[in-house]
Amino acid sequence: MMNGPPDAGQRLSNGPSVDTNEASPSLTRDDAAIYVDGLTKTFGGGEDAVTAVDDVSFTVAPGEVVGLLGPNGAGKTTTIKSILGLVLPDEGEVRVHGIDVHADPRAAYEHVDAMLEGARNDYWRLTVRENLRYFAAIRGQTPDAVADRHEELLDHLDLADKADTAVRDLSRGMKQKVSLASVLAGDISVAFLDEPTLGLDVESSLKLRTELRRLAEERGLTLVLSSHDMDVIEDVCDRVVIMNEGRVIVDDTVEDLLAGFETTGYRITARGVDDATLAAQQERFELSDVQRSGSRVRFEVAADTETFYRLTDAMEAHGLDVASVETVQPDLAEVFVEMTSRASERPDGEDIPSTGALSAEPPTGDGGGRR
Amino acid sequence: MTDAAERASDAREGHSDADGVAHGRNPERTGGYYHLLKAVIYRDLLIWVRYPLNAALGLFMGVFFFALMFYGGTLVAGEAFSDSIEGLIVGYFLWTLSLGAYSGIMNDIQSEASWGTLERHFMTPFGFGPVVLAKSIAIVFRTFMTSAVILVVMLLVTGTTLDLNLVTVLPVATLTIAGALGLGLVMGGLSVLYKRISNVANLLQFAFIGLISAPVFDLPWARVLPLVQGSAMLQRAMVDGTRLWEFDPGTLAVLVGTAGCYLALGYVAFSLTTRRARRLGVLGHY
Repeated sequence: MMNGPPDAGQRLSNGPSVDTNEASPSLTRDDAAIYVDGLTKTFGGGEDAVTAVDDVSFTVAPGEVVGLLGPNGAGKTTTIKSILGLVLPDEGEVRVHGIDVHADPRAAYEHVDAMLEGARNDYWRLTVRENLRYFAAIRGQTPDAVADRHEELLDHLDLADKADTAVRDLSRGMKQKVSLASVLAGDISVAFLDEPTLGLDVESSLKLRTELRRLAEERGLTLVLSSHDMDVIEDVCDRVVIMNEGRVIVDDTVEDLLAGFETTGYRITARGVDDATLAAQQERFELSDVQRSGSRVRFEVAADTETFYRLTDAMEAHGLDVASVETVQPDLAEVFVEMTSRASERPDGEDIPSTGALSAEPPTGDGGGRR
Repeated sequence: MTDAAERASDAREGHSDADGVAHGRNPERTGGYYHLLKAVIYRDLLIWVRYPLNAALGLFMGVFFFALMFYGGTLVAGEAFSDSIEGLIVGYFLWTLSLGAYSGIMNDIQSEASWGTLERHFMTPFGFGPVVLAKSIAIVFRTFMTSAVILVVMLLVTGTTLDLNLVTVLPVATLTIAGALGLGLVMGGLSVLYKRISNVANLLQFAFIGLISAPVFDLPWARVLPLVQGSAMLQRAMVDGTRLWEFDPGTLAVLVGTAGCYLALGYVAFSLTTRRARRLGVLGHY
């Protein structure tokens, strides 16, 4: 087990440190907004035991927005609930603004709230405003004293017109926003949001992303977002923690993660291809997503600059006419798929390659991870 | 450096935000237990009236079952039944109160779990215990209101008069149903852990009838059971006009003691079951 969350420059909690520019910041347990060290949770016992969270460590700086990603069953929800004290972990230390959540939950809950059930996070028979007032009151606020802040919140979330409407009469997307509003109704500084944009249309999702950034930047709210929507994570988050099979496999900034994949892929269209020529190219280079129509072929290849020129030279030597070359940039979704599939394939204890190592890897057969 | 990188860097360096609010500051608490209780009572009443059919049916069935007993009993037993009508009304009033408190807190916990709001009540700076206590008070408050309506209708239908000295009736009735509330907390806790326990929970409702009508003079030990002592005292208060200060201290002590014990037992059981639910990771599942 690691002694404390990884230092700056580390990005993996279950392997040796790897050089990356930014990762879980090296904050002490008192400086971090969220400090998680060696969190472990196993359900059941004996042969049926399932380790949902396996020695998870990370820190989140105040005002930082972190995306918690992972495939279904990766342990994200158990991690979040263990951090919040809703699930009792077997081991590990969790602090929110220096307060031990499990030793002094009431003091910790002064700072933190969570949207865990999506649109089911509030009372559908109450109006939007009644929900905000209620959840503010049970979080130690006088509803009248924070009414102005609630109005502002409703305004920012485009809910002002629906303030006196029962939540059950709202659309799914609006219910989702009411849930978020009810979480923010109390005066919190840390919020966990599970799938905050689920059910929202594109416009509402974009608006909500802007609002989440505004809350982080203007109110200094620390946010941990769990989402399968990579666009949301890419837009909103400063950093990403990717989990797989209960472990943290990646803890890095969005920028570094994407940069690590920029060995750039190319999508090339060429004319004048015959079977022998294509086979010769496929022998020398790892072409993927090959689509052939008569003498015209289109394929993708992940290559550095030198390899790219060798490829085009070889194509010219075989008399191929290169019709077009497009650069294919990676996005977070493919980084995520690549990282989790690699983590699943590696034997236990084997190091997970850094983003730098990934960038030097040969292209995968299907061209995944290079778009 | 990209925006995201700058933001991350700023966050790590602990920069203040634009409106001067320091990161990690202590949230401002403007409300206390009074506001908590007020909000919980208000929310309970709102939810009750926002299910109008359920609320109306509850009141109607309360009156309907009594009317069935009253007219049926009068038809079968005639004068003999009418002589014991005061005792029946007091017993029925207490049964509606007990049932309201017991099923009220149990259903509330189950509903919160199914609505996805139970975990939010766990994550409050007041603590789960005080919030559940506030819920219990809210339910007792609402139950008194609905049972009072049923009582008034019963008195009007039967043309009976009872001694309704509130200084006596309210504390005795409240302490009596504290036992039922304790049992409701036990069942509420079990429902968080095991989810569907309605068969057992419903059976217990009928046990209340036996407890309320238990013969305390013939079976003195029965006084330590929930509802029994309070039921006997409420009969004396409402039928005979006995005042609170006219009960002997031993009788009052048993009432207070059993009320405190069963409520504490319920709370401890609820705490243990919710802790177990947290251990198993099923607190918010339904």
